[in-house]
Amino acid sequence: MKKIVLPLLALVLFSSHIMYLKLDSYFLKPNKSATIQLFNGTFDKSENVIDRDRMLDVSLLNNGQRIKVDESQWSEKDSITFLNFRTGEPGTYVVGVSTAPRSIEMDAEAFNTYLEHEGIQDMLAWRRDNDALEGDANERYSKHVKTIFQVGDKRTDDWQKELGYPIEFIPLDNPYELNTGDELKFKLLFKGKPLANQLVYANYKGSSEEHSHGTAENEHSHASKPEEAHSHEKNAEKHSHDHSKEEKHSHDHGKEEGQSHKATEEAYSHDTNSADAHSHDSEAGGHTHTSGQQLRTDSQGMATAKLTADGIWYLQTIHLQNIEGEEITHESNWSTLTFEITHAHGTDTHTHAPAEEGIPAYVYWVGSLFLIAILFFWFNRKK
Amino acid sequence: MKPSFKKLPVTLLFLFTPFLLAAHGVSSADQEILNNGGLLSYIYVGAKHMVTGYDHLLFLVGVIFYLSGFKDIVRFITVFTIGHSITLIGATYLGIKADEHLIDAVIALSVLYKGFENLGGFEKYLKFKSPNLLLMVFIFGLIHGFGLSTRLQSFDVGSSQFLAKIFSFNVGVELGQICALIPIVFIISQWKNKKSFDSFYKATNLYLIIAGIGLFLYQMYGYYYGGH
Repeated sequence: MKKIVLPLLALVLFSSHIMYLKLDSYFLKPNKSATIQLFNGTFDKSENVIDRDRMLDVSLLNNGQRIKVDESQWSEKDSITFLNFRTGEPGTYVVGVSTAPRSIEMDAEAFNTYLEHEGIQDMLAWRRDNDALEGDANERYSKHVKTIFQVGDKRTDDWQKELGYPIEFIPLDNPYELNTGDELKFKLLFKGKPLANQLVYANYKGSSEEHSHGTAENEHSHASKPEEAHSHEKNAEKHSHDHSKEEKHSHDHGKEEGQSHKATEEAYSHDTNSADAHSHDSEAGGHTHTSGQQLRTDSQGMATAKLTADGIWYLQTIHLQNIEGEEITHESNWSTLTFEITHAHGTDTHTHAPAEEGIPAYVYWVGSLFLIAILFFWFNRKK
Repeated sequence: MKPSFKKLPVTLLFLFTPFLLAAHGVSSADQEILNNGGLLSYIYVGAKHMVTGYDHLLFLVGVIFYLSGFKDIVRFITVFTIGHSITLIGATYLGIKADEHLIDAVIALSVLYKGFENLGGFEKYLKFKSPNLLLMVFIFGLIHGFGLSTRLQSFDVGSSQFLAKIFSFNVGVELGQICALIPIVFIISQWKNKKSFDSFYKATNLYLIIAGIGLFLYQMYGYYYGGH
């Protein structure tokens, strides 16, 4: 029983937070108000807001210009941080947020569980191979996230510009020139240089196939596709993250609560080498950040994601390395990139209303009345 | 030389295909409204969808044409409303949905059905009496509601106040329906006593057939070539 309970308990306690920039629609109109949501938690649910003083950089790129976003444009509601802005000229826009490093101490068990849960397989394997599983950790972490969205119809080149973050995804194609079924090649830069052999997860949330329900009060969760069953709300109430302060990363539990659970050999009984070692089901009460395609960058820091379905896609990676130092033992840099992929946006699809991209509805009505009028006169003449 | 009557609808069908293709759909503008406007925005988008979602209205036009008297209209519209409310609320709550193109194709057929029935197509061409209209209106109400539900589910509704949002959308649909029906009922009832009503009746119901075929073809085209 202990073998089961300890890992599950640790899993619940040490669920960490990945940061994403999300929009309700990644296709916006020019010169209109818009909102980007900064999620810190899972892709489906933000667990806490981010303070402005934690943001080292917030940039908006469009039409060759990089604009620093003003602090006053941020607001919070519930556990989500909102960036309110106004779109300008048509183009492919990029927004990036880079956060300042923070550190967190974890005992060995908490750290190993966290590595497993976040799919940081390389570090876990290294600890195994080097008999380091018993070592506690003091990790310095920072998060650097980007989103690419399309304003109007005109495609511009900002999507390939580097923001200069410590770790950063750079697509090699404009995602808005791709459709479902295509492949997105991208490179991963670490401190400006290609990062080879780094594990990257690519996943998506269907834009039309899914909405979020839950079993908690007022919440439901339906996913029409297995791949999309990345819903963590079901037992959300079981998560015991301490988010009384936004500054607290969920690893905080490692220090405060993790030490009450001594690391045991049994706690690491999961096979982390397995591709789906982290597919915890909802009964476990935990959530995983490691579903979707597992990709590994090549020697040039490049990898390719298959865009298999319509939806909001995200690439994510956590680069974690050992640090030689007195206090800090590890340093991690987290990165995500979000964008939307659709099957098409022409007049032959139903994705966007004709009023937005094609024939306005009133034209239809006028045409219909005209047609009825022709028929009417036809029948009237026949009498 | 006079064009033949048989060729006219076909010619018009092709002529007006672009208009028929202007089907209603999910708009990112609506999504923005839903994101920022609370429950009222769901009422608004529901009403807007009904008013601009002409396949629903075309079906109702067909139903109203067939009826005489205000009581009858209220009875049939009530049955249609009950039908679409059942599937709109039920299917959305349970997360049941169909391919948008396919369900819209079936709705298009309901428009075609009504025009065909109103023109006496069952008796004239199929040689049997048309099915009970009240029952058919209820069945088509269920189908239209399922279409509305599929549409609602294509929005990112979120998780909070989920049921309230569905109800609000449904309320909006009813309000939109009432708003659209008032001028339709008015025009039809005012025209009924005119000499030209017969031509108007035939023209509109033939149009329903053309629109039904056009919408059906459009949706099937979308189903096969729209990336599904």
